Amino acid sequence: MELTLAVLNADWGEIEENIERFIRDYIERTRAAGLVIGLSGGIDSCTTAALSARAIGGDKVLGLQLPEKENQNAKDCKHANIVAKKFGFSTETVDITPSLEIFYKTIPSFNPCDNVSKGNAKARMRMTYLYYYANRLKSLVCGSSDKSETMIGYFTKWGDVAADIHPIMDLYKTQVRQLAKHLGIPEEIISKPSSPRLWRGQMAEKELGMKYEQLDLILYGLEHFMKAEELAERLRIDKDVIEKVKGRWLSSEHKRRVLLAAKLEYRTIGADFRLPRGP
Amino acid sequence: MDQEFTIALAQIESKRMDKKENLKKYEDIAKRAKEQGAKLVIFPELSLTGYVVRDELYEVAETIPGPSTKAIAKVARQTNTHIIFGMPELSEKTHATLHNTAVLVGPNGFIGKYRKMYLPTHSVFEEKRYFRPGYHSAVYETNLGKIGLIICYDIYFPEVVRLARLQGAQLIVCISASPAVRRVFFEVLTAARAIENTAFLAFVNLVGIEDGLQFWGGSRLVGPNGRVLAQARYNDEDMITSRVNYADITPIEAFVPTLRDLRPELYEKLKKSAEEL
Repeated sequence: MELTLAVLNADWGEIEENIERFIRDYIERTRAAGLVIGLSGGIDSCTTAALSARAIGGDKVLGLQLPEKENQNAKDCKHANIVAKKFGFSTETVDITPSLEIFYKTIPSFNPCDNVSKGNAKARMRMTYLYYYANRLKSLVCGSSDKSETMIGYFTKWGDVAADIHPIMDLYKTQVRQLAKHLGIPEEIISKPSSPRLWRGQMAEKELGMKYEQLDLILYGLEHFMKAEELAERLRIDKDVIEKVKGRWLSSEHKRRVLLAAKLEYRTIGADFRLPRGP
Repeated sequence: MDQEFTIALAQIESKRMDKKENLKKYEDIAKRAKEQGAKLVIFPELSLTGYVVRDELYEVAETIPGPSTKAIAKVARQTNTHIIFGMPELSEKTHATLHNTAVLVGPNGFIGKYRKMYLPTHSVFEEKRYFRPGYHSAVYETNLGKIGLIICYDIYFPEVVRLARLQGAQLIVCISASPAVRRVFFEVLTAARAIENTAFLAFVNLVGIEDGLQFWGGSRLVGPNGRVLAQARYNDEDMITSRVNYADITPIEAFVPTLRDLRPELYEKLKKSAEEL
């Protein structure tokens, strides 16, 4: 039987309630003053910020815009401000270009053409700013990574996924679009092509080599224990495409499970200390 | 024996690893339930300690009877109620062997316990890592009729409830810690187990969020004909009461006589087939 996007439908009202309860509960447990969110103006961060504002009140949410000169985009900035106004949270903008330039200058072997190393440094620089603000405000950092990108490792280790909570990480990109629509995020944000904005002209679907609609169905199949042959047949695509996505998923597990200690003693951090997550 | 009585389903959010706080909550709710006429008050699976306790289970587990059982028995005596709750049990014969156990106490003290037979160890569940499974069904004769105990994932295995029913249980109590994505399964299974056994079934589920798991509540009393007689809220703490009247079993047991129609020879075949799976 053909696998279609219908499998990714959900009761978005219920999903919204569950996410908002999750956010509210964690804020109450940790007694944090609020949430700081890296607000790029893209669909993921706008949706996460909107959910956060609804969960704990806009006065406890700060959308931090962290542009830098190579990727400055007036449209993103406009979108971030539209969502902030609509959902009633405040924003602050810090141009991180000077910090990045100083960082680049201190590295003797710095290569301006190495987009990946430079791009990851940008993501980690943003993380540093987010945590600085969170500490100052006695708040937590709220991540806005989605399931599609996180599953295939399309993120920076210790960078954009470094956060205290991840409200939408269990939703594929196409599901985030549906949730965004349900929340009333403007259509121009929902339909805007996704970009991590690590270098000029970087477009997610171009880098991934496929549309999110296809990627999400492949990942859905893998999530549901489907074998590559079956999935290829049900999606009517080449098995090699599935294998490639599966390869990206499996090979990026080190980015999602970040503590790998040599097993030397009785109980080991990251291995067999199995403790409840406090608080 | 009371043929008819009020039952209270108390879906609570546990404070993890804080037995004192949770015992206080049990006591407050039992008193409130009593004021509403309840003779039986039921709390969720592992609600004495919280569900996601992991390695700290060794710290909080107790023998049964033990201090917490005695504390609850005292509440049962004071309120003249029967109380069922869930806790991690430390085996009396060992130092660190645990069970996921349901405890039944009454106005005269400890009545009995049930050790969960089916321990989920898949998806987000890791119960076999910590618990030894139980090997016995549990049906207790009380002033409130014959009560059979099961725990959460046991409900996926119809033979557990069937065994309790064949041992005379009129009311099956299923205490649970079920996270949100499984709601649809439990809503079907609670009705199915009640219908196929022509017995009352009380399902009491945890609420609250533990390590990202959202327990959905939705506790319910199902009549022997599968009708939902009372249903608690989803996701929030709630305590609801409803009436159990064992006289309601007779007409449905005669109308859909599943117990009369049992085929014992199939159980032999089931056993053989399960062994060869």
